[in-house]
Amino acid sequence: MPNALGNLIRKEAKDMLRDPKILLSMILMPLLMFPIMGAAISLSTSTIKEATRSVAMAIMKIDEGTISNQLISSFKALNISLIEVKPSPVEEAIQNLRQTNITTLIIIPKGFTENITSGLKGELRVYSILRSISLSEVAKASVVNVPISIYERTLVRRAIAQAFPDRDPENVLDPVDVKNFVIFKGKLLNVSPQLLQGIFMSQSFGFPMVIMLLLISAMQIAATSISIEKEEKTLETLLTLPVGRISILAGKLAGSTIVAAAGAAASLIGINFYVASIFSFMPSTSIDLAEVGLQLSPLAYLLLGLTMFVAIISALALAICIAVYSENVREAQSLVSPLSLLVMLPSVILMFADIEALPVFLQVVLYLIPYTHVVLASKAAFMENYAVMLRSISYITMFTILILYVAARIFMTEKVVTARFSWRRKR
Amino acid sequence: MEKAIEVINLHKYFGKIKALNGLSFTVDPGEIYGLIGPNGAGKTTALRILATLIRPTSGSARIFGLDVEREANKVRRIIGYLPEEAGAYRNLSGTEYLKFIANFYFRNKREIKEAVYEAEEISGLGERLRDKIKTYSKGMIRRLLIARTLMIKPKLAILDEPTSGIDIIHAYHIRRIIKNYAKNYKVTILLSSHNMFEVEFLCTRIAFINKGRILVEGSPEEIKTRYEARDLEEAFMEVARSA
Ligand SMILES: Nc1ncnc2c1ncn2[C@@H]1O[C@H](COP(=O)(O)OP(=O)(O)OP(=O)(O)O)[C@@H](O)[C@H]1O
Ligand SMILES: [Mg+2]
Repeated sequence: MPNALGNLIRKEAKDMLRDPKILLSMILMPLLMFPIMGAAISLSTSTIKEATRSVAMAIMKIDEGTISNQLISSFKALNISLIEVKPSPVEEAIQNLRQTNITTLIIIPKGFTENITSGLKGELRVYSILRSISLSEVAKASVVNVPISIYERTLVRRAIAQAFPDRDPENVLDPVDVKNFVIFKGKLLNVSPQLLQGIFMSQSFGFPMVIMLLLISAMQIAATSISIEKEEKTLETLLTLPVGRISILAGKLAGSTIVAAAGAAASLIGINFYVASIFSFMPSTSIDLAEVGLQLSPLAYLLLGLTMFVAIISALALAICIAVYSENVREAQSLVSPLSLLVMLPSVILMFADIEALPVFLQVVLYLIPYTHVVLASKAAFMENYAVMLRSISYITMFTILILYVAARIFMTEKVVTARFSWRRKR
Repeated sequence: MEKAIEVINLHKYFGKIKALNGLSFTVDPGEIYGLIGPNGAGKTTALRILATLIRPTSGSARIFGLDVEREANKVRRIIGYLPEEAGAYRNLSGTEYLKFIANFYFRNKREIKEAVYEAEEISGLGERLRDKIKTYSKGMIRRLLIARTLMIKPKLAILDEPTSGIDIIHAYHIRRIIKNYAKNYKVTILLSSHNMFEVEFLCTRIAFINKGRILVEGSPEEIKTRYEARDLEEAFMEVARSA
């Protein structure tokens, strides 16, 4: 009766999605956590921006030369609030400044102008008064570097103009102009490899992260769905209903998938907000992902979807096989949590390294873990390396079939009722 | 005549623990048959085997001619099982839960509706059936579960301690429901209990089991006469002493 399966799935989804614990941890948390994180980050960065805008500096001019005066006027031209203080011992000046909100003291020592005009290095002393080691304090302290280097560049240009009156100082400073081209997937692109790598990195970080989240939460949901039947003592009734055990298993898998998908959607929406709020104050890269070829082809999408599908089914079934040995939800979740290593290990390692670059031993271990192949498939998707994707899919599918077989076996026997987890070995 | 239940020489081991040790009995259609006995006697184990939840180590059991191991799927169509400790899905309402169960037994909407209506009557929970099950008391849940076991009109209802942990008022209702139901629909009922009053009130025949096998069997009257006892309790103390 296919009606029975539908009935089971409806019940699974209803019972779980109405559960406040599941709702909170799987749906609400990811939906709120990421945007809150994003908001917190953008709040703190805008605080930093605000803080650096209002930086006030003090300058102590001991040197009386022209260059010292030009330096000060160039600061003022940049709208920097600058207070001149009378020459005095450094300790005393700093003592005085500590009473105010001024965080930077610039001292122009004697002989500054003379040194520079006679071709030697002029010296500036910059004292930063840090009131804490927060990002914004450090940011305030480094604000002073900008006007100084601007003025430095003015001096350099002036020197070049004197030496080569008929040349553009910019060309002397920077005589070679490098134009970057990259050949990627057989296409000629007008970008630098570094820029491409930057985009690629964000993709190869993002996908394993999402995969990791999705699989781990799917496992937790599946473990919950079976152990809650034990905890609430509904399993025995369920198993005596006139419905095949395979349907019961399938109902659990499908119900958990629905909840996991809802959770994944919530995470993705959340992450989207998060990324948006982070990127809102970063310079946007002006390249079109599709043009660069970093967008997935329909076939790659399809295969990646298939990969994720079999991977999720195997994760759910694996979690169910283990959770059967628990008596309540808490125990099930702790029994299942070691499984998340199987997901985390490949995701984290492959975020930073290509698998071929790893020591052979680690490669073998990783290749054996089915969830490695999910990450590999997601990387291969961008390279349109369909052979690797198909290899990944076959391996995960084989693993999934094996696990489903084991889960079905457990469901067909009385183990599902009587199995108990115990640290003691059977005598 | 075909037997409702035919249990032959059942043995069941859990590892080294012997839960059943050659249990045999038969129940005729329309009977209310009661298993009583001390904790750990094997009552739940026997009922679970009949309910197709676990398999005997050896021996066989048939329900209306169907083997509980080889024809488990067919057996499940004709039984209703109430476990000793049972709950219901906390986040469903009582009515939703009844519909969920009825869906497995009936194909068309009318039959499902009738079964659910019947269960609503049996449970006597009235308006509270619209509330989530997590708001129910233990007694209310037990009444809901009895109702879902009986609403499908099983040929055999297997009830493991139907009134355990229930106050006397709820227990009173549950006993009356079972008795009326058996009378009105001629269903066969197999139950276990620790309550002598309950088995005497409900059962046409009872079996006293201990250490996985039957010590005495008969109608309450027969047993009382055989041991010259005023009530069943006294009779069983006598059996336990001589065992
Ligand atoms: N899943 C199991 N694993 C191991 N031993 C079990 C299991 N289920 C039951 N037993 C053992 O089998 C024996 C019979 O238990 P059973 O639950 O059938 O007794 P019972 O007559 O229902 O007792 P009670 O009146 O307390 O409900 C007991 O010794 C019990 O410890
Ligand atoms: Mg029992």
